[in-house]
Amino acid sequence: MREVELFFGPQHLGMVGNFSITLNVEGDKILKATANPGFLHRGFEKLMEYRTWMQNFPLVCRINVVEPDHMEMVYAMAVEKLAGIEVPERAEWIRSIYLELARVGSHLFGLWAYSNMLGFDTVAQWAMYHRDLILDLFEELTGGRVYHIYIWPGGVRRDFPEGFTNKIVETLHSIGKCVPDYNDIFFNNPLFYERTHGIGKITREEAEKWGGVGQVLRATGKPFDIRKVEPYAAYDKVDFDIPTREEGDAYSRIMVIRDEMIESVHLIFKLIEGLPEGEVYNKVPNPFKWKIGEGESYVRVESSRGELGLYLVSDGGDKPYRVHFRTPSYSHGLTILEKVLEGANISDVGNIMISMYVVAPEIDR
Amino acid sequence: MNKKNLIQQLRLTFSDIQLNEHEDGIIKIHAKKEQVKRILSYLKDNMYNHLALISCVDWIKEKEFELIYILTSYLDDKELYQETGDIYLKIRIPRGDPEIETVISVFENAEPYEREIYELFGVKFSGHPRLIPLFLERDYEVSPFRKDFDTRKYVKDVFESIPVIPEEEE
Repeated sequence: MREVELFFGPQHLGMVGNFSITLNVEGDKILKATANPGFLHRGFEKLMEYRTWMQNFPLVCRINVVEPDHMEMVYAMAVEKLAGIEVPERAEWIRSIYLELARVGSHLFGLWAYSNMLGFDTVAQWAMYHRDLILDLFEELTGGRVYHIYIWPGGVRRDFPEGFTNKIVETLHSIGKCVPDYNDIFFNNPLFYERTHGIGKITREEAEKWGGVGQVLRATGKPFDIRKVEPYAAYDKVDFDIPTREEGDAYSRIMVIRDEMIESVHLIFKLIEGLPEGEVYNKVPNPFKWKIGEGESYVRVESSRGELGLYLVSDGGDKPYRVHFRTPSYSHGLTILEKVLEGANISDVGNIMISMYVVAPEIDR
Repeated sequence: MNKKNLIQQLRLTFSDIQLNEHEDGIIKIHAKKEQVKRILSYLKDNMYNHLALISCVDWIKEKEFELIYILTSYLDDKELYQETGDIYLKIRIPRGDPEIETVISVFENAEPYEREIYELFGVKFSGHPRLIPLFLERDYEVSPFRKDFDTRKYVKDVFESIPVIPEEEE
């Protein structure tokens, strides 16, 4: 059969987000896949070199549309580490609650993308609706629905409004009530199992060799999670599990995501229960005159896609000298995806890509 | 091998490296560019099997690029992970002729990082199988992430000079 070159994306029914893959196919079978990122390259890292430490906050959250909150957190942590700023106890707990809410919201968005791509339109609608309920919470807390700029160096922008924790609990309960429905229609659906079982399979050794993190690694049975191994915020104060699966295929990755959502909700309840009283913000110097001493730092958090890192260099000025984000989708989308797609079927391209949670804005930055 | 032994072994094996251990458990190694592959494969065999990031900093005053390889481990035990800590391998190369060998044979996920640095800083990685642009479409005289590339001036020159049709004189 003749070998054909096929352009998959950025405008394609099976492709979510601005990402493109060039496939060399023979019939239905993929011989070679080449990832073509760059449709969303906005040069954030360079732009940040022109702005003061605080001015960069509206920029960092826009790097990844799906989870702006972890971006804020990692940048705030890097600035705090360079400048030696302490964060009050209550702010650490609030940050954890906020980041876990963001994780649930982001996973629901991921569930929308995945179920939509597989043709489970109803689940997609539900997931989007439930994500909106979480966005309502964010709107009440910060004023913004998608981009919040809530975490700052020294703490968080404002304390929880009165009765806000009750609202979180109510909202999460109302979403949690639908978990059996989600299971019936989607996760335990034989059609879903057949579409995803054994697809895009990688072993643990391969995942480690190719720089896999997050669900890609945890779906191969490795309980690797930055929240556990290098706790930040208040994650070392409460106990929680890390869901894993053994098979390393698309099905197990999605099941890990489902279990993680449920675990995150339990974690939020525990965090709300233990939330201490006190200040939420340690004052930082005047942002217009704030200079941070020479130094470099690499900090990381567990975003909803895996290890999100930031390498930040200061030359003693009022602006960063160099900013470089290490995003989880980078290795997943550019290294692992190309290797896993070799030998796969054309109909599984979007399936494999979204099961690995590849989001283009994070790769391009 | 624990960390103390590793540091000793590193000093013995690679005589001309400069190794500093910091309070927060980070080891910073300054080395020459010829050694990059050997040091990385040595570290990979000794627990540091996760290449988190390759980054590049343009130290324009010193006329040098600094390449930073950040290594951590895939250990899932908290104590062991924190005991192992991070290693920053730092390599300075002259700005005039930036070239270094590729490390894809040691860490396969280095491939896109090296391509990105080639594109944004103009650092050549010898032996890289496809050193072609990753993100950008346009051609630039100066690589866009270098410090002597003025983003604001570039934007002004390129995007404010969209040809405007002059109004016709009556």
